[in-house]
Amino acid sequence: MQPIQPFQIARIAFGLLTFAILVLTLGALTMNVLRDLRDQRSAQEDIVQWSLSQVEIDFLRLQLAVSTLPTDQPGTEDLDQVTRAFDIFYSRVDLLRNGSAYAALRDLAEFDQAMSRVETFLDDTVPLIDGPSQDLVGAAPALLTRIETLRPAVRQVSRSGVGYFARLSDDRRNEVVRTLVQLAAVAGGLLLALLLLALRLGWLNAQSIRRRAEVAAAYERVRVVSETSLDAVILSDETGKVLSFNAAAERTFGVFAAQAIGKNLSEVIVPEHLQDWHQEEMRTFERTGKHAILGKGRVKGVASRADGTVFPVELSVQRATTLEGDIYVVVLRDISHRVQAERDLVAARDQALASERAKGDFLATMSHEIRTPLNGLLGNLGLLGDTILSERQQEYVRNMETSGRMLLRHVTDVLDITRYDAGKLRLRQRPMHVGRMIQDIVDNQSGAARANDTRLSWAWEGDRIDWILADRDRIEGVLLNIVGNAVKFTHGGQIDITAKVEPGTEPPGDDRPVLHVAVRDTGMGIAEDMQARIFEDFTTGDTTYDRQAGGTGLGLGLARRFAEAMGGAITLDSAPGRGSTFCLRLPVDPVDPPHHPTPLPADRPAAPARPSRVLLVEDNVINRTIARETLSRAAHEVTEAKDGTEAVRLAARSRFDVILMDVRMPKMDGRKATRLIRGGDGASKDVPIIALTANAQAEEQAAFLADGMNDVMVKPVLGDALLCVVDRWTSGDGASAPDPVDAEPLADLRQALGPDRVDDLLGRFAREVDTLISNGPDADPAVIADEAHRSAGSAAMFGATALQGALGALEQAARNEAQDGEFLAAAHNAARAEWSRSRVALGL
Amino acid sequence: MVHPFRKLGLAGLLILFSTLSWAGESPKDDTSVILTVTGSLDHEDGEDIVQFDLERLRALDETRVETSTIWTNGTHVFHGTSLAAFVDALNISEGKLRARAINDYAVDIPVSDAVEGGPILAWHLDGAPMSLREKGPLWLIYPYDSDSQYRSDLIYSRSIWQLDRIEIIR
Repeated sequence: MQPIQPFQIARIAFGLLTFAILVLTLGALTMNVLRDLRDQRSAQEDIVQWSLSQVEIDFLRLQLAVSTLPTDQPGTEDLDQVTRAFDIFYSRVDLLRNGSAYAALRDLAEFDQAMSRVETFLDDTVPLIDGPSQDLVGAAPALLTRIETLRPAVRQVSRSGVGYFARLSDDRRNEVVRTLVQLAAVAGGLLLALLLLALRLGWLNAQSIRRRAEVAAAYERVRVVSETSLDAVILSDETGKVLSFNAAAERTFGVFAAQAIGKNLSEVIVPEHLQDWHQEEMRTFERTGKHAILGKGRVKGVASRADGTVFPVELSVQRATTLEGDIYVVVLRDISHRVQAERDLVAARDQALASERAKGDFLATMSHEIRTPLNGLLGNLGLLGDTILSERQQEYVRNMETSGRMLLRHVTDVLDITRYDAGKLRLRQRPMHVGRMIQDIVDNQSGAARANDTRLSWAWEGDRIDWILADRDRIEGVLLNIVGNAVKFTHGGQIDITAKVEPGTEPPGDDRPVLHVAVRDTGMGIAEDMQARIFEDFTTGDTTYDRQAGGTGLGLGLARRFAEAMGGAITLDSAPGRGSTFCLRLPVDPVDPPHHPTPLPADRPAAPARPSRVLLVEDNVINRTIARETLSRAAHEVTEAKDGTEAVRLAARSRFDVILMDVRMPKMDGRKATRLIRGGDGASKDVPIIALTANAQAEEQAAFLADGMNDVMVKPVLGDALLCVVDRWTSGDGASAPDPVDAEPLADLRQALGPDRVDDLLGRFAREVDTLISNGPDADPAVIADEAHRSAGSAAMFGATALQGALGALEQAARNEAQDGEFLAAAHNAARAEWSRSRVALGL
Repeated sequence: MVHPFRKLGLAGLLILFSTLSWAGESPKDDTSVILTVTGSLDHEDGEDIVQFDLERLRALDETRVETSTIWTNGTHVFHGTSLAAFVDALNISEGKLRARAINDYAVDIPVSDAVEGGPILAWHLDGAPMSLREKGPLWLIYPYDSDSQYRSDLIYSRSIWQLDRIEIIR
């Protein structure tokens, strides 16, 4: 039902007004006609005209009476005749003179003139008539003459009067005719209006019928929709009384519509334990018009079935205003299945995440565990290289060492990727010098480049930037990877590294300058279909590519990860035969050059208590020279090593009092060297090793200590600070044998496998080693070698590096037993000693 | 209206008794006769003549009518004997009265015209007797102003003046 619009009211009012005007007009005209007709009926024309014509008759009677009057001795009768005829004529004239019906007539000039003459006659004759009869008789002839003279005037009175009234009558008839015509016109208008009204009503009726049909159809549609809806649809009135309950609602609540309709909604669907809350909500709603659910869109809640089971629902409540008051539409869906599915999904996801984490953890553990024995392997290979070998053996050793290093790098890469993917890759932001870093890389790679007959150079393009706050290790790793690849794939060509700084543009709002380092080579180039793939993990392992290039495995995938972790990117522009250009873009934070700390206690003596033998391991010539000079001046005996390999070799050969070990070095870094020294059986395997590092992070330092280092000094270590450290570690205080067991692998293992499982493994390991040791050096050397080999692997897994080294040496000695039997016994002894120490450290 | 009418009806009844006793009496003097009534007066008992002088008419009834007429100028007061009282006195209840004037003008007046508040046989105009020149001595006057019914040509034609004879036609 539509509300009546104002314009409709106006239209209706206009129609009614028109109709009323027509009816009134008709009424007025009808009154007119009736009045006219009444006038007609009350008209006096006939009698008036009769009187007019009677004037002449009465006059003729008077004339007759006078003319028939006997001239001599007339009788009374005769005279009375004359008198009566005169009186009658007089009364007739008097009538015309005074009668109201003749008033209009008297305005006519011809009538009035004739009347004047008649009246003069009457006035003149009255004395004669009223006088003595003798006089009347005598004057009779004269009277007759005057009467005859007057006759035209009397005729004139009569005729003009009759003519006037005839005209008047005509006018009146015309008036009636006109009124009747008007009446007909108005009646016609009224009829037309009625006709229009009838048409309009007919149209309205048709429209109303059509609308009713439409409404019925719409209602039917809504009903069908409601009935076929999969959701329960419930209508209630303001008090919550159920008005409609569809088929889905019947199914959902287990209540027939007939039972539900008329009941209160809360009885039908609200669970027992929410009744109080519902009542409170309804009261709040009545008071404030606010409701927790109404008009809030889809809301989740619970409802109860007829059997009392409570189930989760999704519902929405809307209000509709109707003529019968507000009604509420509740659309409600049983989401039990969905909720269950969601729960299952969450559980599945959690499980998947847990699996993924376990996988990552396992990978990390395994990588670590692979790396440790690999280091042992490599260390021993190094040692082997220092022994007297045939040329073929030396070649085998070199090949093994190359393969071992490649394997180690892959393992390290896998570890880094695992960390990155687990989100554990942390950046160590420290001030670093861009130019120096690039120079280091060039220095590092120039040898290899030369070997390939390739020229390697670098330069700034445009403005240079020196100090930035960044993770030098990561940037260097990325660049080293790129440059290393370029060197590898370029033979007899040119590699140009250009660095430049551009103002930051990406992402918008980040105005940090962007460091571009482009590495352009003239190598063989990369086919387009390979360009995207080489940044993926393990996909660079194209066999031909790998064979020719030596294989980089995860290298570029990792470089990409590092670059992205630092907010940068690596791009590649290449075509086969045209060479390749890798470009690293990194947003950087320029910083002021760091000021150098001067840890120089003034009270320290310039000379040491006693001169010591110092192994100085440092790749940088300048740094090495400075340190050497410092130590030499303090009367220390300094032996120099320019990289890890050299350090390991020297440490194996001679016993030093202390080893100062640079951590970052080409070929073999300080950590690896330390591990090899500790794991080997060299002369200096248990002397203090002090790390010299730019890595100030505690985490890293802990890792150094785990490697077997005794102390960590943050570079630059200059002057007295250097001397103090040497003094401290050579004077006996603070000096100690390295911990035989690296705690980290064991902890990792416990985490990955569970403590019980690790204890099991440790128990078995202990039994194996016990057997090996108790069997003594006289057992079958082959058996000793195999068992030592197996146990060394296990020792590495548990972080017992010293034991691992000892067992490795034992294995080697066993295998060489034919050549050197004494060495086997010595190695066995060493292993026994190391086992007793490691046993305690492992808690066995 | 019921009350006065009933009163008048009662009065009419009393008059009827009194007039019946009068019916046989004739005017003492011929010259004073102003109205001669002929026709069957007493229930088809045959022809009869009744003569009225002013006194006798006046004795029947005296009714005052104030009205204008189309024959006069302005409003006038007429006194006369109501036609109702007149026909009652003559014991006439139906038929018509054929009225004649001195100039022999004649018109038929139905007895049904003779109602209370209806026409009178006027004998005084403005308190004075009417001469022949003033349409006397008797003039049948209807109360034209009181009812538009009385303002029609028909009624005007029945308004006979200089009336001197009435013939009763049943």
